[in-house]
Amino acid sequence: MKIQIKKFGTILSSRPAGREAALVMKSTLRPGPREKVELDFSGVLAVGPSWLDEVLTSLQNDFGKERVICLPTDNLSVIESLKIIDATHRPSP
Amino acid sequence: MKTDTRRKIMALIRSRCAEGVRPVEMVRHLGVTAQAVHYHLRALLSSGKLEVVGRGPTTRYVVAGIPRFDAAIRWATSAAPPGQSPSQWVCESRDVFLGRLARISALSKEGLSDREIPLLISAVGEIGNNCFDHNLGKWRDSPGCWFEIQVTGKKAWTLIADRGQGIFRSIERVLPKIVGEQEALRVAFEQVISGRAPENRGNGLKFVRGTLSLYPQCGIACRSGQGLVDYGPLGPECRSYLEKPTTPWPGTVTLVVWSLK
Repeated sequence: MKIQIKKFGTILSSRPAGREAALVMKSTLRPGPREKVELDFSGVLAVGPSWLDEVLTSLQNDFGKERVICLPTDNLSVIESLKIIDATHRPSP
Repeated sequence: MKTDTRRKIMALIRSRCAEGVRPVEMVRHLGVTAQAVHYHLRALLSSGKLEVVGRGPTTRYVVAGIPRFDAAIRWATSAAPPGQSPSQWVCESRDVFLGRLARISALSKEGLSDREIPLLISAVGEIGNNCFDHNLGKWRDSPGCWFEIQVTGKKAWTLIADRGQGIFRSIERVLPKIVGEQEALRVAFEQVISGRAPENRGNGLKFVRGTLSLYPQCGIACRSGQGLVDYGPLGPECRSYLEKPTTPWPGTVTLVVWSLK
């Protein structure tokens, strides 16, 4: 199941907006038991780590970390946001 | 005596760095004709030493490459409430700030590449959102943040300032033993710690530092209280504009620079 992120705006910044977007996504998503939830960033201008962290954390809590996938993109704001989110959530050694 | 007149024009403009100088003032001050002043101004403009600010009768000439954020810094640091905040710069709510973030896209006309624009928007977005995240209900007087972009000397300068509580007070809530404003700023940019714990936050300024340190064409400096930090190759240049006045800055002022092609 693919989510077109651009439907939530082209500049995606702030935690309150991310929380709101996640709630909307969850209210409309009906993936099958093993179906992946894919986030498609094509058409998005910029994403901040705060917005993306809220969305990913919320979706992963409901569907599991393995099922929530960010599709490949060359948008540097998405790439760098994912790096910092990954580093922040990685357990300390 | 061309060179001497040109040198005098430059000296006059440098002495009035913040506001710039109108041609009519140069004529009066230097005792030369208007034609001579305009002749030298054209040469100084074409050599990239000067830039024009304003239009028509308010046209002023300023030294190229120096951002002018005096009004923003006065607004952010004055002890007394600033009165009416200029609505073209001050975003009183987060929605207004987020709406104005799109202005960064216009820098594509100035030489910011399509690949760089998303990074600058997301970094500035995190800084501006922080103003609201940490000061909602706690503004000293005027709510919101000053958000201004200037292009000068082939660089885009973005300033975000607030009249909030400052970073030390946010960090002190979760790290009561933090030793001062300088250390609080360093922690805010370098450690994953949320000033709004127990909420799981704290990656925004780390993202900003990481992004603006990665690329050779950018930099950032941030001042809050007596604390002042800079990151990235052009960080020291940003820092130089936030060193004065040396009196404590109660809120937070952040300056980001990005070189244009």
